[in-house]
This record gives sequence, structure tokens and C-alpha cells, in this order.
Amino acid sequence: MEQSEVMERVVKILTPWVKDEGALASVAMETNILEDLKVNSARLVDVVIAFEDDFDIEIADEDVDQVNTVGDAVNLISGKL
Amino acid sequence: MTAQVQREADSDPGRRRRVRRHALQRLVSIIAAPLWVTGSVLTLSFWFRYRIEGVKRVRSEYRAIRAASGDAPMLICANHLTLIDSFLISWALGSTFYWLRNPDELSWNTPERTNFGRTWLARSLIFVAKCIPITRGGAREEVGEVLERVKYLLSRGETAMIFPEAGRSRSGRVDESGVAWGVGRIVGSVPGCRVLCVYLRGRRQETWGDFPEKGDTMDVTLACIEPKSDARGARRSRDLAQQIVMRLARMEEDHFDARQ
Repeated sequence: MEQSEVMERVVKILTPWVKDEGALASVAMETNILEDLKVNSARLVDVVIAFEDDFDIEIADEDVDQVNTVGDAVNLISGKL
Repeated sequence: MTAQVQREADSDPGRRRRVRRHALQRLVSIIAAPLWVTGSVLTLSFWFRYRIEGVKRVRSEYRAIRAASGDAPMLICANHLTLIDSFLISWALGSTFYWLRNPDELSWNTPERTNFGRTWLARSLIFVAKCIPITRGGAREEVGEVLERVKYLLSRGETAMIFPEAGRSRSGRVDESGVAWGVGRIVGSVPGCRVLCVYLRGRRQETWGDFPEKGDTMDVTLACIEPKSDARGARRSRDLAQQIVMRLARMEEDHFDARQ
């Protein structure tokens, strides 16, 4: 799967939890999920589960600790596909 | 420290740092305990004039739970309404003399860094008072490091306290939807971990705030659970965390039913 397709799906998955729609409009690999998109950190587990379900992968807790930006999520998921 | 924990510490530089830092903070905390534990209790008793309803019963129940749990790791999880909940809970569970005799049973806490870590004095005080500050919503690696530290201290037989709602409840009630999965990660990673659920509320407490009203009487209830889940990964962490929060929510229902 191309990285661009992974990114598109990642952004789609994140959308319901994003509180800053302006930041969503200009989302890039460097966009910080918590600080820029204003996703509630308490919802991160739901986001991770949604990634797992959508891409049919398993994400370890330790892997999540490396994910701060959209790009981190894309790279993590791409590495598991 | 067990031989296994020592071997793991030796093999990982990050873990070695964590072990050294923990050992230093633990030592400082124990040495200073007569001062900060006594000071905290005097402040709660005489400055704030708080009272714990049935404190002898609560402490007796706590000791019975600990005795029944043996050497099992114990994580304390409680509802969260004020900035000093962890002090109130520790005071409810044991007297000053009890904590001075059992310093490793006195729980470590994970306060929000922006509330308690703004000045060097505040940072020094929370260092002495067994606090591991965390930035809620902060960089994932930093949050992960705090969780690893908590897992480490639990595996050593020490006690930690975490509020599974993550922050003070803005509704004034246990929020079953706002569960911080970090608590599930910890419970799922520490074999045999028990969770002591504590529900504490002042009789004049309607909602969240910085402190309970001066002179308030606190009601405290305890319940020890051992959450289990057959799920894997993030689902497992969420499942475990939800079991804890749901238990707290039921304790809250019982609390309000008893007051009617």
C-alpha cells in the first residue's frame, strides 16, 4: 500500500476525534495529533483500536509511545503492512 | 530488588537510568518522611480541618485488603475531584505512624506537571513526596516513560496511585467515557496486579475544585479487584481500564444511594 493511501486512511480515522478542523484542513506528516489536531489524549486508545481494525494490524503499547505526529502513525502502520 | 529486575535493569540503559532515579527519589522520600508525612497530615487535620468518617474502619479494611493480597502488586485507583485527593486518600488509608513504619506501602503518585511542577520549590516538594509528574496530553515518549516507571515500582512491591479518569472530573461524577488507557496498560503489564478502588468524597462536595471545603467530612469506600481481559493490545488496555472505572462508578452510585 502506498504511503499516501495510508495517510489518507489515517486522517479519515482521526477525523471524528479531531477538535481543530482548521488544522485538519492543512494536515501534513508533521502535524501533531494531540497539539495540532487537538485530539483528546484520553481518546488515543480508541484511535489506536480504529487503526488496528482498519488496517488489520496489531499495535503494541510501546509502539504507540513513538507516535506523536500523523507521520509517525503513517510510518508505524506502513511498517506493519 | 529481585535478581530478575536487576538483570533487566543491567541490560537496558533507559531502564538503568530509571532504576537509579527511582532509588534516589525513594531514599530521599523515606529520609524526609517524618517531615513531609507529618506536615501533610497536620495540614489536612488542622489547617483544612478535614475529617475522615469512620477512619478506623477504613484503615482496618485497608490493612485487611493488604494482608489478603499478600505480595501481589497493588495499584490504587480513585475518583478525582480535587488537587489533594492523593493526600486525602493516603491519610484515610493509614496514620502517620503507619506510613513511617511502612514507607514502601505509601503510594507513589503521578500529578499533572502543569499543576505541580511550575516552580523549583514545587518540583522539589513533589520529588520528596513520592510524585512522578506527568504531562497529560504530552509527548508520547514522556508519558510512556512515566508508565514504565510505575510498572517498575509495582514490580518491586511498591504501591502507586493513579486516577483512571486522568483529570479531575468536570462533571463532578465518575466519567465512564473518559478513561485513561495508561492505567489499563499498567495493570495488563504487571502480573497479578490488584487494583484497590477508592471512592472518596466530601459531604459538601458538589463538583470538582482545587480543594474540598474547609471543615468538610470525607466519606471513603474501598474495593479490591483484579481486572482480567482476554483481549490483546490496545483493546486489552482499554478493557482493563474500563473495568476499574466502572467499579468506581458503582461505588459512586452506592455512595449517593447511602446518602438518600
